[in-house]
Amino acid sequence: MLIILLFLSVLFPRFILAQEEYSFDMSEIEKEIEKKPYSIGGYLEFRPTLYWLDDDAAFYKLEFYDRSNRSRLEEYNFRLLIDASYEKGIGEFFLRTNIDAVESAIESDVEATIFEGYVSLKPSPSFTADLGKITLNWGKGYANTFVGFAQRPKNPEDPDLPREGFIMALTDYTKSFNGPLQTTTLTPVLVPVYKNINDDFGEVSNLNLAGKLYFLFYDTDIDFMFLTGHSKPSRFGADFSRNITSNLEIHGEFSYINKFKKKFVDDEGNLFGETFDAKSYLVGMRYLTPFDTTFICEYYRNGTGFTSGEMENFYAFVDKGYNMIFTSGDDSLIRKATSLAEGSYGRRNPTRDYFYLRTIQKEPFDILYFTPAITWIYNLNDQSYSLSPEFLYTGITNLELRLKASFIEGDSDTEYGEKRNDYRLEFRMRYYFDAVKVFDKIKR
Amino acid sequence: MIRLIVAGMLILGVLASPSFAIDGTELLKTIDANLNPESFEMYRKLINVEPNGRKKEFIMYSVKKGRDKIASVFLSPASEKGRSTLRVGENIWLYIPNVGKPIRITSLQSITGGIFNNADIMRLDYNQEYNCEKVESDEGEYLLYLKAKTRAVAYDRIKMWVDDRKLLPSKIECYASSGILLKTLHFKETKAFGGGIVRPSVIQTDSPLHKGYMSIMIFAKVKATKLKDEVFTLTFMPKLESLR
Repeated sequence: MLIILLFLSVLFPRFILAQEEYSFDMSEIEKEIEKKPYSIGGYLEFRPTLYWLDDDAAFYKLEFYDRSNRSRLEEYNFRLLIDASYEKGIGEFFLRTNIDAVESAIESDVEATIFEGYVSLKPSPSFTADLGKITLNWGKGYANTFVGFAQRPKNPEDPDLPREGFIMALTDYTKSFNGPLQTTTLTPVLVPVYKNINDDFGEVSNLNLAGKLYFLFYDTDIDFMFLTGHSKPSRFGADFSRNITSNLEIHGEFSYINKFKKKFVDDEGNLFGETFDAKSYLVGMRYLTPFDTTFICEYYRNGTGFTSGEMENFYAFVDKGYNMIFTSGDDSLIRKATSLAEGSYGRRNPTRDYFYLRTIQKEPFDILYFTPAITWIYNLNDQSYSLSPEFLYTGITNLELRLKASFIEGDSDTEYGEKRNDYRLEFRMRYYFDAVKVFDKIKR
Repeated sequence: MIRLIVAGMLILGVLASPSFAIDGTELLKTIDANLNPESFEMYRKLINVEPNGRKKEFIMYSVKKGRDKIASVFLSPASEKGRSTLRVGENIWLYIPNVGKPIRITSLQSITGGIFNNADIMRLDYNQEYNCEKVESDEGEYLLYLKAKTRAVAYDRIKMWVDDRKLLPSKIECYASSGILLKTLHFKETKAFGGGIVRPSVIQTDSPLHKGYMSIMIFAKVKATKLKDEVFTLTFMPKLESLR
């Protein structure tokens, strides 16, 4: 027996340790928690993806009309995201840089973007002031949000991905109270839109004002927000979130856009405009079962979205433009359709009513750090959907492995039926690093 | 003679059932006060050890104020850095830097994976969440039987073994409402942190549901400090590290 234990302890030195006592060096821990004024970290990601293409789909035709046909496409994506900060006194500088590289048979590109870069002053926990490029994250919706008035839209397929911000100045003033109203925070935001400054936000040569007022009232998060200026139509909204029980959370959003201008085409490609007051809303819940299954469920109505008829007209226009290339060699219509697809028609979830369900099972069969999940986005207007099962493993420190498949289903003239792909298989390998700790270890 | 026998029986009765003499609620409040000052900051290292010896380590900085406010931020590993949690009473929020906004989560959900859950990391005072139903005394130890005040609490029942001189826990067993033992916490290495704070510096956790797995929580730099209420708000969650 002793020989076996000795053999095990040589082969697996930590095995014996795990069954008995665990020892640690307190002085090492104190070194680890020592604070430095600067930090550099982030992640490096490799994401090979395989697409099964649908050559009947409108978005396939838009992308491949001037390329040779193919039924599959392999794509290799690389990403380096770096967060750096420097803190001195009440001031802090933060920079988030993102470098994306893609390599496939139809694309080879590298793009570097500063997602965020700002100076923050924190004279007290009640008051902060930030100036620079900032990513706001207003709204309580998980997959989508309609009250993020000064931020870029989420990707419902992967809502947790970091996004690029806008240049702005903002302050937060927070006050806590005893009683039913526990906290309130006022956040005024100035968003300048000029040539080369936030020129993709809206109409240029305008200074826009946005704001948010937050309350924690009777254990409920409540926000009211607005945006005014001339870059976009004025809008206001509200959201809330509350735990009904310890394992059930509900949330909702409402937004109202005054005189929203919608542009759409008929099947000939003629452009029309319509102005109306757009109302969007979202209701959702997060529920945790006793078996550690989390359900995130949302219904959202996008008041600015296209009707099914408007989308069908667009798909018919794409078909017309595509067929014209083969009959007359004229690609002017398909090029016009491509430019429309780069705008509203190509945005994620462009129609009106959606149901979103994400089911996450934590560590099934007692496999620690293993999390399978499945996400279903269902277009209630045309009954098309995407269904994405995934497996996430985080058992190795700083390494995250995710295998994700997507089944994109729908009849012709439906949102998911007209997507470029029928299926997608993606493997994401993400390695997180803390460069300061690595340098420290090298120095030691 | 009869008087003597009755008096003797009374004395024996009192000695045999000391729970009559001990106020469990007050005892629990004293234990809480010994574990944590009213308002303080601390660092904790969490180590999850698997049966094959592989381990995963986390370092957290936490601040706590009063009975119902606690906030924590992960300092390492790099994959968790900046991830912060805030608890105000029964409200718990999680902030993930990449997501960029606090989301409400439940107390039973796990932040880190492994056998710790939010309730272990974001624990309020025991007397806030549990009623002491019974106290037994035996050989230098009290045994407290605690019952959750509401169903929102992570563990329905707790058995707490307490050193009767130091009034600090030595072992805690956590039970589900079905009576199943969920985990056992062993409190070790009582240490003086300065400022009169003397408490166990290591909590080792094992669970019959995860045989062979072990979690260790090591406390460092526990220090009483004054904190503004505004520290415990959603707006401050991304800035928690600036308190260090």
